[in-house]
Amino acid sequence: MSEAVLRTEKLFKTYEMGKRKVPALYDLNLQVNKGEFVAIMGPSGSGKTTLLNVLGCLDKPTSGKMILDEVDVTDLPERQLYKIRRNKIGFIFQTFNLLPYLNAAENVELPMEYGKRSKSERRQETRRLLDLVGLAGRGEHRPQRLSAGEQQRVAIARALANDPAIILADEPTGNLDTENKFEIVKLLGNLNIERGTTIVMVTHDGHVASHSERVLFLKDGKITKEKQGLHLAKKKLACPYCGSKIQPTDEKCPTCRKKLVAAEEEEST
Amino acid sequence: MGAFTRAVRNLSRRKMRALLVIIALGFSMAIMVSIPAGIVANQEAAQAMTANFNSTMTTTQEEINKTATLIECQTSGQGMFRGGQPGFPPGGMQQQQTYVEESVANEIRSISGVKDVVEFITVSSSETTSETINGPRGRTFTISRPVYTITGVTLNSSFIDDYSILPTNITAGRNLRHGDSGVVLLNSNLTAYFGVGVGDKVEMYGASFTVVGVYDAAGEGRMETRSAYMNITDAQTAAGLTGNVSRLDVYAKNVSDVDSIAEVIGAAYTSLQVTTYKDRLSQIENMQTMYTQTLTSAQATVSQTETVATQEIMMAVVATSLIVLFVMLYTVRERTKEIGTLKAIGFSNWNVMSQFMLEGMLLSLVAGVVGIAIGTVGAPLLSGILLPQISPFGSRGSSQFRPGAANAGNFGNFGILGASTVTVTPSLQTMLIAIGAAVLLGALGSLYPAWRAARTRPAEAMRYE
Repeated sequence: MSEAVLRTEKLFKTYEMGKRKVPALYDLNLQVNKGEFVAIMGPSGSGKTTLLNVLGCLDKPTSGKMILDEVDVTDLPERQLYKIRRNKIGFIFQTFNLLPYLNAAENVELPMEYGKRSKSERRQETRRLLDLVGLAGRGEHRPQRLSAGEQQRVAIARALANDPAIILADEPTGNLDTENKFEIVKLLGNLNIERGTTIVMVTHDGHVASHSERVLFLKDGKITKEKQGLHLAKKKLACPYCGSKIQPTDEKCPTCRKKLVAAEEEEST
Repeated sequence: MGAFTRAVRNLSRRKMRALLVIIALGFSMAIMVSIPAGIVANQEAAQAMTANFNSTMTTTQEEINKTATLIECQTSGQGMFRGGQPGFPPGGMQQQQTYVEESVANEIRSISGVKDVVEFITVSSSETTSETINGPRGRTFTISRPVYTITGVTLNSSFIDDYSILPTNITAGRNLRHGDSGVVLLNSNLTAYFGVGVGDKVEMYGASFTVVGVYDAAGEGRMETRSAYMNITDAQTAAGLTGNVSRLDVYAKNVSDVDSIAEVIGAAYTSLQVTTYKDRLSQIENMQTMYTQTLTSAQATVSQTETVATQEIMMAVVATSLIVLFVMLYTVRERTKEIGTLKAIGFSNWNVMSQFMLEGMLLSLVAGVVGIAIGTVGAPLLSGILLPQISPFGSRGSSQFRPGAANAGNFGNFGILGASTVTVTPSLQTMLIAIGAAVLLGALGSLYPAWRAARTRPAEAMRYE
């Protein structure tokens, strides 16, 4: 499992605010291997979203290099980048970003519209994906008739539509209540384990991050620290220390009382 | 789920806005639809006027040619009851009708330069009716007038063909013709008075005549005259005036001979009042000048219409494009985040651009249909408001000539310019062009907003709230 899906070398991103130059990413080197579930944590303004935009080919780095699925995408023009975004990347947003005038199934089908699949194949795939995220039979509902958690599930199904090499999730649980938050993070964990989906998730919630395999800490545009995550989904909700059963919402193991949050909260705020 | 369905959903998502925009665009489109229809209507009106003018002038000219050579010789009292003479004074009633011998006609025929002499006799019944008529300024007159007046005409087929000696406005039955005898042509006032119709018999001067036809009495002057036409011999016999005539229409071979012939007749027969048609000729020339001026002004109106229409259509085009432009700019701004999402999930610049252009075009298409509906219903009103109108006059009266010398006073009644109603209806072609124009303007108006949407950088769009 050491095959790199995503690799950056000396990545810089600088915003120009008038005469002032504001560095958002600074000499950032990152590698995400196939099948990995990586969480990126950092305080506000640490460059999390900028990093995700650059990784998702929504923004270009000022300098450096980025390789996605063995393709150097650093200097690709827009006329090629959209194909990369369509076929290799799946986005999940904090605010779900579903199109309100389309129903759940239509939202899921949207990224496939300009692909090579036939209409019937698209419909079939849409049903399969909705089923995968636990929304079988809810395809006809418009987003406004779905709960926040359900909307994020639709967004996850949409992100999986073209079977991307990597899923980039920007605060996917940021707009959800506790129950839905762990449902979604559990869903992401399961996708990672069962389908081998590579996931990079930006979050400032340490508890959510603990569900990942590896947690990177970002500060001032640089990765300052890296920790092993607990990858709770992999352990089928067993305490990594004593092996006793835990709930996804548990911050401490009810048996051994050890802290289940991998990241330190103070580092993420 | 294609781009088209998304475009429809997006338009229907904000119904009130779409409705207002469609109404605004619809009015623009309605202007575009109704103005060409207005132009066409004006052009048709002008063409109808020209055609009517030309045909009337041709007829008039023929009439001039026919009557310019006419020297009218009438005995005293003539013209009081003759069919078609308008506006005679009631005082004339008291004037006694006199006659001349038929031999006078033969004598006149022998004058050099005379082509034909047509004989008439006008006789009025001795029985009279007493009637009250309204005079000018609210005054009323009580008059006594004959029950009927008969005009006896020489029913020679070449005269009938060449000269206006009989009424032309036959409403029932037939006109008199060569060889008719024992038959009578009555005007509608007289058939009403007698209560008879075609085929019935009427008694006049003690003799029985079969009614062969009825002519319209309208235009025979202010008085509701009761007139009849018959063979001159029948009239002479019935009235006991065999060998007498009351009027001779003398036709010269050339117009240049008219004056000299009139002079000779006037000198030889003092009992005849001799008049030529020179005065009428000048009257017709004046009329021609007036109509030419009217036509010129109508043509000027048409060209003015086209200029105004061009400006108004240009304004409508600009207005439509601007409405689409601003609405689509607003839409693009409002949906920035959606644009970012679409790009993030793999929509190309072209996919995004075509999506917004499609929406703009669809909006304009619907507006075009609405505009055509408004335009079709409101075309007369809209073109009436927006375009200068040709107002054809002369819709009153009728255009037929009346027999003989009676024509002179009646030209003012001619419907010479016809076309009293201008119908403004957009043609199918105009409608199709309007639909095409609507879609094109929609594309034009949404081009820049759609381009802006396509050029939106996804990372910035995602940050947009």
